[in-house]
Amino acid sequence: MEKGEIFGYLGPNGAGKTTTLRVLLGLLSPTSGSATVLDADLAKDDATRSRVGVLMENNGLYDQLTARENLVYYARLYEVGRPADRVTELLEFVGLTGREKDLVGNFSTGMKRKLGIARALLHRPEILFLDEPTSGLDPEAQHMVRELILRLSQAESMTVFLNSHNLDEVQRTCSRVAILHQGRIRALDSVRHLTSAGRKTGFSVTLADPGQAGKAMDILSSMEGIDEVARNENVLGMMLVTVPPHEIVAGLVRNGIRVEEARIQKRSLEEIYLDVMRQAEGGVA
Amino acid sequence: MSRITVVAEKEVRQLVKSRNVMLSALIFVVVFGIFTIPAALGGMGEAGNAMDTLGFYLVLTLGIFMGYLFTAQVFLREKQSGVIETLLCTPLSLRELWSGKVAGVTIPATLLTYFSAVLITGTASIFTGETLLPSVPVLFHIIIVVPAFIAATSGLIGFTQFMLGMRENQILNFGIIFGIIFLITFVRELAGPGFSVTWGVVAATGGLALLIIMVTAWLTRFLSRERIMVTLPE
Repeated sequence: MEKGEIFGYLGPNGAGKTTTLRVLLGLLSPTSGSATVLDADLAKDDATRSRVGVLMENNGLYDQLTARENLVYYARLYEVGRPADRVTELLEFVGLTGREKDLVGNFSTGMKRKLGIARALLHRPEILFLDEPTSGLDPEAQHMVRELILRLSQAESMTVFLNSHNLDEVQRTCSRVAILHQGRIRALDSVRHLTSAGRKTGFSVTLADPGQAGKAMDILSSMEGIDEVARNENVLGMMLVTVPPHEIVAGLVRNGIRVEEARIQKRSLEEIYLDVMRQAEGGVA
Repeated sequence: MSRITVVAEKEVRQLVKSRNVMLSALIFVVVFGIFTIPAALGGMGEAGNAMDTLGFYLVLTLGIFMGYLFTAQVFLREKQSGVIETLLCTPLSLRELWSGKVAGVTIPATLLTYFSAVLITGTASIFTGETLLPSVPVLFHIIIVVPAFIAATSGLIGFTQFMLGMRENQILNFGIIFGIIFLITFVRELAGPGFSVTWGVVAATGGLALLIIMVTAWLTRFLSRERIMVTLPE
């Protein structure tokens, strides 16, 4: 992972996302090979663990303690300087000022998540591991958590490892993703590359005259390097495998087809993800 | 401040806030500190000697039971809630975690045990109509050896709670605690009616506590983050 990047680790339930995280964090041993974070094996290196922030599915909070007591406890474990000030700063950062004396047991799921994020940031970690950070949150809280992650990466150059099966979240926040299926990485690339170049590109052509749609379909079907040609009234959609978009337009125009609009359609991460899953289940790595 | 102190302080704070646990402990202390004394004194012959015997074994038994009660809260609760996973990602070493928790159990359990000793002495004095005070060896036993025994047993139970799954823990912890209490009672019975608490008896008890602490501290080297993780409930 690059410093400051937000790395998305995608996969369905049971794919091994949390297990990978636990191996990286030194909580489980790898069955083969090794796992290092910041050049250290976290299972054996107490000092390096203080450079790593973690938010697991469980927020790591004590219900019987207040929000402030929880944060002060962890701040002291991490030997944070002036813990009271840092706690106040983070409570403000996650929008929980005023609730600091409330017992965490009385908090909503979203508030616990926010406090969990504050806890994970107490010691200003260089890398932050997040396991399903928006799971169980309402849309507003999800948005807030996503904004927080982006702010951390942009303003503080913090590296973030984001475990998620929320494709929308990953597409909005991550710069690079790995897609996991049954314990194996099936795709690893930047989000931009996955959703545009290098793979099939979605392309649509709107015809000025719907009467020419049949002829246009015939032309497109005869061209090499085009898949999945489909028609919806005067709009023709297709997937380009090898042909650049301008050649499609040129080919149609040469044959007398009047093209009103041509548009490249980026594939969503969801489509990519489903593609990868289908290929993996079909035995194609 | 060392991390052990930080953990211990948090455990004490959490225990004090756990009303149900504290209430159960207080009820237990009051019931055994007041209601069992008349019957116990009646069957022990000379009052001063009986007071020493009570101060020796009843206070010890109560102390161990307090430790047992609090250990479940301090060691198991984090495994049940899953908070332990986050704690294992902090720079805290497993030895520090275990030591802090043992201290966190021993401090409140000792304070409650001291309270039970005061209750026992007061009740026995009221019942016999004379001021009964424990002898110096028994006083030493209550103040020094009993806390050491609480630390030893809670350390051992806490260690097994880290090492084992929830079901195995229920069985084994029950066995450990009642095994120790049974052993104390058995030894007392074996000593016969002429049993009196001497410095030798106190020293032997203290030695046993130290031995258990040393063995358990040595055993903690076999603790691993993975071991704790694989014994978490699903």
